[in-house]
Amino acid sequence: MIWRIAQREFLLNLMTFKFALGVVVCIVLTAVFVPILARDYQQRLRTYHENVARDEAELRRVRVYRNIRPTLFRPPCVLSVFSEGLEKRIDVSATIELEQVPQMRGAAAQGNPYQAIFPVFDASLIFRIVVSVLALLVAYDAVSGERERGTLKLALSGNVRRYEILLGKLLAGMMVLIVPVTVVFVIALVILLCFPLVQLTGSDWGRIALMYLTSVIFTAAMYNLGLLFSCLAKRSAISLVLGLFLWVLFVVVVPNASVCLASRIRPIEPRTELDEQILAMRKECDRRVWDSMPESSGGSQSDAGDAFGSYYHRKLEGDARKYYSVYYPVHYRLSTECAAKCWEMERQYLAGLAAQKSLAGRLARLSPISVYENTMLRLAGTDEGAWKAFLDAVQEQRGELVGYVRAKTNDFSATTLFTPYTFEQMEHLEREGEDPPLKLDDLPRFIYRAKAVRDLRRAIPDLGLLVFINLLLFALSFVAFLRYDVR
Amino acid sequence: MIRRLIAKEVLEHILSLRFLLSLLLTVSLFAANGVIFARRYERQLAQYSKKTNENLGQFREQSRQLFRLAFYRHEVYARPSPLSCCAEGYEKSLPNCIRFTAFASDLPQIRDQGNFTLPYFRDIDWAFVVSVILSFVAMVFTYDSICGERETGTLALMLAGAAPRHAVLLAKYAAAMLTLGIPLAVGLLVSLLITVSSRSVAFGPGEWWKILAIVFLSFLYLSAFVLLGMFISGRMAHSANSMVILLLVWVGLVILTPSFGRIISDVSTKGTTQIELRRKLDEASERVDEQAESGAFGEHPGSMSPDPSDPMNNPPARAKWTIAKTNARNQVLEEHHRELLAQVAGARNLTCFSPVVIYRRAAETVAGTGINHCVSLRRQIQRYQGDLLQYIRDEDSKDPNSLHLMFDEEGCARSWKTISRKPVDFEAVPKFLEREPSLGEFVTPAIRDIGLLGLFNAVFFAAAWISFMRYDVR
Repeated sequence: MIWRIAQREFLLNLMTFKFALGVVVCIVLTAVFVPILARDYQQRLRTYHENVARDEAELRRVRVYRNIRPTLFRPPCVLSVFSEGLEKRIDVSATIELEQVPQMRGAAAQGNPYQAIFPVFDASLIFRIVVSVLALLVAYDAVSGERERGTLKLALSGNVRRYEILLGKLLAGMMVLIVPVTVVFVIALVILLCFPLVQLTGSDWGRIALMYLTSVIFTAAMYNLGLLFSCLAKRSAISLVLGLFLWVLFVVVVPNASVCLASRIRPIEPRTELDEQILAMRKECDRRVWDSMPESSGGSQSDAGDAFGSYYHRKLEGDARKYYSVYYPVHYRLSTECAAKCWEMERQYLAGLAAQKSLAGRLARLSPISVYENTMLRLAGTDEGAWKAFLDAVQEQRGELVGYVRAKTNDFSATTLFTPYTFEQMEHLEREGEDPPLKLDDLPRFIYRAKAVRDLRRAIPDLGLLVFINLLLFALSFVAFLRYDVR
Repeated sequence: MIRRLIAKEVLEHILSLRFLLSLLLTVSLFAANGVIFARRYERQLAQYSKKTNENLGQFREQSRQLFRLAFYRHEVYARPSPLSCCAEGYEKSLPNCIRFTAFASDLPQIRDQGNFTLPYFRDIDWAFVVSVILSFVAMVFTYDSICGERETGTLALMLAGAAPRHAVLLAKYAAAMLTLGIPLAVGLLVSLLITVSSRSVAFGPGEWWKILAIVFLSFLYLSAFVLLGMFISGRMAHSANSMVILLLVWVGLVILTPSFGRIISDVSTKGTTQIELRRKLDEASERVDEQAESGAFGEHPGSMSPDPSDPMNNPPARAKWTIAKTNARNQVLEEHHRELLAQVAGARNLTCFSPVVIYRRAAETVAGTGINHCVSLRRQIQRYQGDLLQYIRDEDSKDPNSLHLMFDEEGCARSWKTISRKPVDFEAVPKFLEREPSLGEFVTPAIRDIGLLGLFNAVFFAAAWISFMRYDVR
């Protein structure tokens, strides 16, 4: 019986004007905007490859260990087409230096800061807005509309039970709404795969499958919301108005208000204060370096240009040799210590940012639309957790690099730190021209890959909440429908 | 007749559930706006005063020697506007600080503006409530204004009497506007009462006029949605279909269209990246260097030995070279800044098919917030740089020991005395103080947007008129 009701409802909904219009809007939006988003991803990927190649080429030119300053690049995330999140709002690179930790800030300084006046557009916006409205429109008259037309009374006067009708309607609603969800995903994927640089890995396909499942669960939640109002109101116009008011709250008021509230409840320290503290710490470090230096200056020397815009010493005279033999070990030992302290401060600041963001996310859980958005961000790997993972990877890489240079230069005391020659070789150095670069085959290379399991683990609470919202709304609808006066 | 029709319609609206819901939602949002804004404004004003005083204090220290004034690096922050309660214009995510000397200015920067990992969000300001919530309410009030009456049969009855069609249409329009006016007026009053009763916010006469202008804009904007609702309602036989179309049109115009601006702007990012800027700056510098090498600025412009008696030094040539370099840099930065603004303005213009984009832009223009604020601040700083340099030039001309060469090199000014090193009276030094944009500065761009909103009203009114005149009421 449930299946027969579902079939009938499905056909009725399929032939409605609202369904046709909703699907057309979804198709048009996907077909117009996904190519633009995919092109943008392709451009970012191209820039990423160029940057990595340029950095690798520079690395092959390094002559002394202190000039190893690779820049680590974050590969663009292909799934940002579906859910952009922080993808374009945070730095895509971090330069590793022995003396200091890389500072990670917003990427607004790299692009056009005035673009902040425009909200972000991605494929998940089509679900959050268009498909959610469509779900409400399909559901709002499922019960109250049938009561108005008198068909509900007829149906219940037969051998049909109330729960069968409700389950049939839920099943039919889902069968109808799966159509636009599937259409959007299929069109988006087909367009995406038409771009030559776009390559989806097995992990990406898994994530896309989960994103599809999440979108279906979210659409079901919105349908259940409409169904609840339909079971509560006697007239379909009232259930529509109630549903739409709540939808507006969920779409625009809750997401904005949650960020606004989180900023008030958990304010963060101004960045300039941290910058001043870091600057003071570096000055103190410099002072300690100078305090431990001998009186004489660097004296005469001959320098040559090295990779990454740095230089190295080719020839040092008597005093300069003594001076730099003391200066560099002291400087790098103290600087790496100072950098570790700076990183601790930076880490605390970033933890504050993450805590504020997390609070905003928790407050936004009042709205299923925000819950869906958070889940999609996590599955796409474009949320703050993915950014934190990149930061951790950068710090780990920096640690390995410092360890590598320490090992190669006997804890910064070997002359190979600042010159390719020994002092004895300098005595007889006559040759002008290029010096051979260092052999850095054993240098730890940076390969950053987003971890699907970790992202999935972070997405589970919100995904679970979406399922719970579905169950709760359907249970409420069930109770309301059992008590519904069909006259 | 029209009055009676209006009274009937207004009464119907007021007694409906949708009116109650919209009143509750709108007033609570306006009240939240008042409370949040009053607290935030007080904090922002305190921070602004602190930073401005710090800057002024450091500037005062430079008055010990005239040349130091020219090379002092000001750090000026945008002054918080009391009208940001009306239209905040994403100011918290926009550049808010400019650093400059008398010779050169950096591009506006984002400083101390909180958490960049948070999504860009709109404050719940008046423009937000009107553009999103009340436009939605306008649609909810009008989706069944014509086809709903047809369904219930009252339209045929009404038109069978003495009421002409145009009177019915005008009455429905006026009633919808009056009903919408109630939550808007109550909400505005609540917000203003909360804001004004807090000690931190004080509106001057100019600000009250601007508030009135924003209220007028809000009515004009809502009128467009009322007319659109009546037009769609007049085209449909069933109110359910009318609702579906209106809802999708509203989603398209209010929620999706502003996002299209980002995509349009992203597509046209060529030439506005930092890498491109650095390339242009290097090229400009190289061009000036080439000129210097060819002797365009005189002999030895590159020499700047600290010893002023060094025969290799040629201060006038050095001055010409440095001035040319500074001018070239300033020009590149100015062009880059213009490109950044043009990129965003172009994208915004292309999304002006939505009344919401026009309304928000007009409200921000009148309130003097958003991008307009950044542009105004930069312009004021450029004017101030000219005033400061003129003052230094005038004071410098009184010192016979100075070379009277104004160029952007502090080392030369110190060792060669290109600018006087005498102390000056700080009270006489021009100080930067951001002023409110004058009436003329915002009226002209706002008129364009008012005209566009008026055009939307005219088009929708004509469409609603024609569709209702031809409407089959059976």
